Amino acid sequence: MDNTVKRLLERLVRRIPSRMLKTTLDKWSRLTATQRQSIDYTESKWALTEKLLAICEENELTVKHIAELEMIHVIENPNLGMWHAFQLMDPQDDAHSVELTQFKEQFKSHLSELIRHVSIKIKKHTDEAVWIRIAWGDTFSRPNHLKPTYVVHYLQTPYVFLSSLTSKQKPLLSQALVLSTRYQAIKDANLSGRKLTAIRDLLMKQYLQVFPTKFPSPLAERNRVVSNLHIEKEQAGSAANRHQMACEAFGDGLLPQLQSAVYKLETKFRDHTNKTMTERDEPFRCVVKFASTNLLESLRHSASSGVASTPVTPLLSSVPLKGKNYFVITDNGPGPSSQK
Amino acid sequence: MERPQNSVVRTPIDSIVAQRRSKNKSYRQSYRSCLGAASRLGHTPGWTARRLNTSRRTKSHNITEKVNPEDLALLVKTEWQLSYVTPLYQFRHTQLRSYSRQLSAFITAEKQQGLAVEVEGAQTSFRVSFSVVQGLGETDDDAETVLVQIHSKPVFAGKDEAQKLVWSGWLTCINGNPEYLHSLPKDFTCLPLFGSRGAENLTSLVKSWFQQTFDCCFGPLEINQTCLQWLAALWTNCHIESSIQHLKMIWTLPVEPPLQITYTVNPQDAWELWNSVRTPSLESREEEETARSIDIEEVTRFMQGLMSHFYRHFRLDLSAGRLSQVSSALGSAKFSGRVKMSNSRYVLTTLSLLTECALLKMPI
Repeated sequence: MDNTVKRLLERLVRRIPSRMLKTTLDKWSRLTATQRQSIDYTESKWALTEKLLAICEENELTVKHIAELEMIHVIENPNLGMWHAFQLMDPQDDAHSVELTQFKEQFKSHLSELIRHVSIKIKKHTDEAVWIRIAWGDTFSRPNHLKPTYVVHYLQTPYVFLSSLTSKQKPLLSQALVLSTRYQAIKDANLSGRKLTAIRDLLMKQYLQVFPTKFPSPLAERNRVVSNLHIEKEQAGSAANRHQMACEAFGDGLLPQLQSAVYKLETKFRDHTNKTMTERDEPFRCVVKFASTNLLESLRHSASSGVASTPVTPLLSSVPLKGKNYFVITDNGPGPSSQK
Repeated sequence: MERPQNSVVRTPIDSIVAQRRSKNKSYRQSYRSCLGAASRLGHTPGWTARRLNTSRRTKSHNITEKVNPEDLALLVKTEWQLSYVTPLYQFRHTQLRSYSRQLSAFITAEKQQGLAVEVEGAQTSFRVSFSVVQGLGETDDDAETVLVQIHSKPVFAGKDEAQKLVWSGWLTCINGNPEYLHSLPKDFTCLPLFGSRGAENLTSLVKSWFQQTFDCCFGPLEINQTCLQWLAALWTNCHIESSIQHLKMIWTLPVEPPLQITYTVNPQDAWELWNSVRTPSLESREEEETARSIDIEEVTRFMQGLMSHFYRHFRLDLSAGRLSQVSSALGSAKFSGRVKMSNSRYVLTTLSLLTECALLKMPI
């Protein structure tokens, strides 16, 4: 049996949690009923791997079939790995009428023209997403299935999400995507994160962006032990105010789980107490990274609790508004800093 | 709280004076009472009266002249977990070999759950060595730094395989407060700063042995906000001599879920900001830039400059959170008490600061 098949299968069995192995294998439907029944899922992963290798050899499965299995797993678990969002620019006239079969054919033919040995698998998922798995080779070697790139594209939208792409592969993939979707260019959307669902929701504004018009009092909302009634009463007005502005900036309800936001600041230092630095011509260069298990929640809470002054600065509210989490800020013009 | 019977210095109300258990009868001044004037100016009771020195001299030291470079190499470029230690009773720098044997036997006994082990010559699988790092102390009052290393064979090693270093630690006192050191009774050696690296179970065994043998107490040393800010300023100050490559500060904000902010500043810009907040030098021009003393006000202004630049953009007040880590090419320090010194030239400055922190944190 091919070494690549072995390695790929071993790695896959290691990755897939035991409780999901059965369902994934059933979806794969490359095993006969008897074979599926003969697998004991309570065995150790090592024993399972051996069993599956034997079955695959029996069925004469190739690396392409194992790649299928991997794809099923990744589609079911899109929140692993690091995803980067891209946006297609300048649609041509027929961009909006590109449908699935046309896209599939075009993409496969363009990419195969650009690079000799490449293995492409395209699958349409239920939620209008087209998933593409690409194993890259080159003029001299066969496609490497151990380091595939995954691409998710929502037809009829200009958004593409990529995972595990090297800088060498990027121009080839960009070219193929642009040609097959009938756009003219593709650019980095400056949004990345671990959870595909989160960055997709953020970019395509598919989460609940409720901007409440009527507010119950904060006391009623939160189950806090009231420390001092007088303080609560006094603060009720400003607390409600902050809460409203926080929700206006970030939305109410459940927010997509973004992990980080990075700001590269190249603005001048301005502080009236420090004359020397203010008179400097060069910008004060620094990089600020915000990180949290759910960044937008944290930011919203910091606005509503007063840690961040309200109204929320456009730098922070741009994250949900523009769907970006990488910004380069420079001084442009006389006013406060603008964004690229 | 007890008052000393014959105190010459009037101690502030909130100082704690403790009596040594059974070892000797005389009372001893607490470290905090030695701070004298500084704490009397304090308006608040409670621990804010006990402060770090408000100004310190910084000087990069060509330390390789004084200290064996091999010993230095053991200290730098590793991350140490810090603790404070109360003064050691009857610790003799001349008895290090005996201590090595005793500690080795102790560890082996603990590992073997109480089987009797000979102190001399037995086939112990742990080899402990105590050594002195000569020349690290700044003043004559500083006791010499002691280095402890534990070598051991890996579990399934072959017969001839050499023992590897599995744990190391050191006790040091750099620029300890002279009043305090002089107020200690004769038999006590003050080495308040303890750093360790290696398995946690070995660390606790070493600590228990020290506690049993020298009647001392260990406790975790958290590097507080002021200390971290000092380190940020001290490292930035060294940029001219050795590039810090970046000044990175990590804050944690108390929101739900907790937000971590990493603020990395370009080293040249950080240095220019630092330079702009320095009070003009009153000393002669010949004196080296880096040998001037630094005041806490300058450090505060530096941090405020950084925080206000941040606020101008994000309208987020960093002081609402907690500074939990500072790092640069010269080293890193975390609130949890982990510190790394990457450049041997600044070891003494960093250790002086940390010695002070340890002395302040000690309960007696």
